[in-house]
Amino acid sequence: MDTIDYGAEGIVFNLQRFSIHDGPGVRTIVFLKGCPLSCRWCSNPESQSRHPVVMYDPSSCLHCGRCIDACARGAINPANPYWIDRDKCGNCGKCAAVCPAGALVLKGKSMTVEEVIRELQKDETVFRRSGGGITLSGGEPLMQAKFSAELLKACHAHGWHTAVETTGYGSESDIRMMFPHLNLVLMDIKSYDRDRHIQNTGVSNEIILKNAELISRITQTVIRVPVIPGFNNGDREITNICKFAKTLHNVQTIHLLPYHTYGENKYSLLGREYGMPEISAPSEEEMQHLKELVEQQNFRCIIGG
Amino acid sequence: MITRGFSKPTERIEQLKARVVNSKPRVEAARATLVTEAYKETENLPIILRRAKALEKILGGLPVVIRPGELIVGSMTEADRSCQIYPEFSFDWVAKEFDTMSTRMADPFEISKETAKELAKDFEYWPGKTNFELATALMSEEAKNAQAKGLFTVGNYWYNGIGHVCVQYWKILKKGCIGVIADAVEAMKKLDHDAPDWRMKHQFYEAVVISFKAVIDYAKRHADKAEELAAAETNPTRKAELLQIAKNCRKVPANPSTNFYEACQAFWFVQLIMQLESNGHSISPGRFDQYMYPYYKMDQGITEDFAQELIDCLWIKMSDINKTRDAISDQAFAGYQCFQNLCVGGQTADGEDATNEISYMCMTACSHARLSAPSFSVRIHQNTPSEFLLRACEVVREGLGYPAMYNDEVIIPALMNRGVTLADARNYCIIGCVEPQCPGKTEGWHDAAFFNIAKVLEITLNNGKIGDDQIGPVTGDPCDFKCIEDVWKAYHKQMEYFVRLLAEADNCVDMAHAIRCPLPFQSALVDDCMAVGKSVQEGGAHYNFTGPQAFGIADSGDSMYALDQHVFVKKDITMKQLMDALHTNFGHGDTNCVCESENKDETEEQLYNAIKAILSSSGSIDISQLQKQLSSSASIPASGKVECNGDYETLRKMLDNTECYGNDNDEVDMFARRCGQIYAREVEKYKNPRGGQFQAGIYPVSANVLFGKDVLALPDGRLAHKPLADGVSPRAGKDVNGPTAAAMSVAKLDHEIASNGTLYNMKFMPASLAGETGLNNFSSVVRSYFDHKGMHVQFNVVDRATLLDAQKHPENYKDLIVRVAGYSANFVVLAKEVQDDIINRTEHVL
Repeated sequence: MDTIDYGAEGIVFNLQRFSIHDGPGVRTIVFLKGCPLSCRWCSNPESQSRHPVVMYDPSSCLHCGRCIDACARGAINPANPYWIDRDKCGNCGKCAAVCPAGALVLKGKSMTVEEVIRELQKDETVFRRSGGGITLSGGEPLMQAKFSAELLKACHAHGWHTAVETTGYGSESDIRMMFPHLNLVLMDIKSYDRDRHIQNTGVSNEIILKNAELISRITQTVIRVPVIPGFNNGDREITNICKFAKTLHNVQTIHLLPYHTYGENKYSLLGREYGMPEISAPSEEEMQHLKELVEQQNFRCIIGG
Repeated sequence: MITRGFSKPTERIEQLKARVVNSKPRVEAARATLVTEAYKETENLPIILRRAKALEKILGGLPVVIRPGELIVGSMTEADRSCQIYPEFSFDWVAKEFDTMSTRMADPFEISKETAKELAKDFEYWPGKTNFELATALMSEEAKNAQAKGLFTVGNYWYNGIGHVCVQYWKILKKGCIGVIADAVEAMKKLDHDAPDWRMKHQFYEAVVISFKAVIDYAKRHADKAEELAAAETNPTRKAELLQIAKNCRKVPANPSTNFYEACQAFWFVQLIMQLESNGHSISPGRFDQYMYPYYKMDQGITEDFAQELIDCLWIKMSDINKTRDAISDQAFAGYQCFQNLCVGGQTADGEDATNEISYMCMTACSHARLSAPSFSVRIHQNTPSEFLLRACEVVREGLGYPAMYNDEVIIPALMNRGVTLADARNYCIIGCVEPQCPGKTEGWHDAAFFNIAKVLEITLNNGKIGDDQIGPVTGDPCDFKCIEDVWKAYHKQMEYFVRLLAEADNCVDMAHAIRCPLPFQSALVDDCMAVGKSVQEGGAHYNFTGPQAFGIADSGDSMYALDQHVFVKKDITMKQLMDALHTNFGHGDTNCVCESENKDETEEQLYNAIKAILSSSGSIDISQLQKQLSSSASIPASGKVECNGDYETLRKMLDNTECYGNDNDEVDMFARRCGQIYAREVEKYKNPRGGQFQAGIYPVSANVLFGKDVLALPDGRLAHKPLADGVSPRAGKDVNGPTAAAMSVAKLDHEIASNGTLYNMKFMPASLAGETGLNNFSSVVRSYFDHKGMHVQFNVVDRATLLDAQKHPENYKDLIVRVAGYSANFVVLAKEVQDDIINRTEHVL
């Protein structure tokens, strides 16, 4: 019998209930910390580091100064427009613990499989009623493959449908450990062009393309393309991704996810600059056009997942 | 079979609807004049006969109106969507509002100079004779004072009739008025002449006979009118319609209905006359699909389209019913709402699924009419076909704000716990906003009061005082409390005291209705009145309840939790600090605080004036005391210009950032549950004069905004005078974990003990309900909430931008309908602060 390690620990930064665009039915998304990619358009920049990070929201701040006293490293600096000298900050979260206004928040905390399951259980009824379940996201869940595998095993033991949103960037052994416990994989292919991929995500797509083949053989896989104007919204880019998807095992569906800027404000909360040029979301017509392209390649296509 | 989308209404329906939408509601004097004449003529008679004679006079003298294109006839007023006046209940407030009723902020009515003059003349007769004055005379000063201080109000039935009933429409369909008269005659014959109350009972039956004969004659007046119009009509189609109307009105409601059209007309006469006999609202058609279905099924000649058009016509007739209330009550019930609750689906008395073709046609009628009446409800149980629930979700998605959804699996046991039989409980319908009852057998007195449990908490933390006034018992200085249980104990004692006053006040009003306003027409259509020879108001109904509503559950629960966490658990705030902060409204002084830069707007000004007006009219309340309490309690610096103190603001943020009810956190949610239970258990201790039990409800209509003004700062960080949370919903904007988490929190309350109904408002963005997937997810959330023993849920599917624009350009949004705590209304007719409250409720954006 396959045993489950309920004590395994992972770094989780959000549990989002009533998620309806991340697999079938109503789902809870478990957002995990850490990502090997650093896409310029990333809407969850707080997920990129493996470790918890402090976010500061000036609009809630009372300037009461409690955080200044709490910080052992002297990283709180009222002269800094972002409030925290990030080079001094150890992201210990002591400032967030004393903040009365919730202006300082520590994103990410260590949780055991058991703790996560207890939270997921709260929507068990709606999973059953809607045919939903849980979706791992991030960050990149493969960065915490051992924890992810144990969590997925535990979910299956509870009878829940499991899905993952992944870049596919990880080791073959991790994939083999984790993916057999998934019912559905939503895998990003951001570009088929190696150089553009490196320029915009910080890593080459070679490992990703190679892993896609393996993943599609283990689990039912949907390919997802974040449509980023100026990066991969050309006909050729999309067609190339479709052609690649055809080489995979039993991939029938492609999701096109239009670029959005909902995550932009998080960058300043982290004391960072948003790396994307000012571009607007692709128009509905443009998305429709790309959808038709995908359908011409005999894939089922959904805009927005 | 499964279809999606809704057909277009017929041109006739569009035209009839336009009349309602474009109407300028006005006050008419006909009924007031007729009832006054009748009372003058019958001074020597017992009250039950006076009431019957009054109805006879009204139905004989009220102008008969048939509007262009109507298929179902009978209107309360000559002008569309207008109202009559009922001086026998109370009249002072009408007289005082002659000049302001057309300009007041909520539910204005035009009132012409002639009408005002005629009413003023009628009113000369009434001083000392109204139901209101008798109830006032019965009530103790303590009970009146508690109401003046904003603890609770029994104002609804104090000023007005009771309504809140579902009568036996099916009895009129089955045996007609002639059948009812025959029953009364038979009962008179069977009476025991030697019994001491023989004459009383005899007179009750006489009153029934007079009333139902008057109804038959009233229908005949409509037949005459239709024939008169037909004679002058040049369009042959309309002429035939008018002749058919005449034929219908000669036959029903006098005789049994033999087809669907007759049944619809007979139903309408009952609904209309119920509205004319008393000005009580929430006269609810109940399980329309159940009692109408046999007439549809037996009707060989009718097409589905025509049956649909008839139902659509009834929907528009219900929107034509209108009543005016005093300015205060219209704040609490805003939206020209008469709460005619009509419910479909659910189970039969045998426990089988009860949905039928009419259930679905009613949903289509909602989509066709797109008006705020009827208040439309669906009953859901474990065996409800998914097709039915999905269709109901589709109606919600239309953005109409209804149907509201009810959980049989909670309501049936809740009613049985109150002594209702299994078969009767399975047959429940919904009255008014959310109140379940067994139709045709119950006097539920469902809207008995609004009770402000957040105010009780405020008083608890002031050792029973408001300012320097020791209004409640002495329960200890909070600074001497050692643990949260000490606070609970004090809170419980205060609750015990004020609920006792509430019961007293309700019972005084109840007795006044029995003495001054028994209703013979209604009584003949509620069991067991005909069997026992007694009116509903005197206790003739089979089931009798009194249901006062609490609100402020989320505020009280969150306040208790925040207090416990900071004062007793983390100990980062002392009780003394907390009390100082509350007494100074967290350093904001009054709500005019410079920090909030929130100007007291015109609306608020008007409201205060209205409160003063109404309270001074009752003659029993010290206005200067009220002003003191409203503007600033003795401990608040009176200037209202205190600079915001940074320490207080920090403290307020600490409290405000404490975990809240509505996020599926057991620890916090149990505090809210306990608050609800304390109230409900106190309420159910009491009996009413009709021999029934008190039962609690938790819903506010829109009273949470109005009564929030009476509540000073609370330990959850809420500033003084701000709106309270609505119904059992979490505080506005505090449910941050999405709709399923909020719903699970709400489901943790003890809904079964709140058997007079609970109300949960859930707001969805249209985007989250899009497509077939959206419908499926939506219905899953409803099913899950009900699996967890939620009782009721209703929805707002609107986006913020639309609502903001509607505030700016009301003329463009006349058909925008939203739910305001317990019902739906045209958004643009709501008072601005009610609109703001809707906008501020958490949007579950995806």
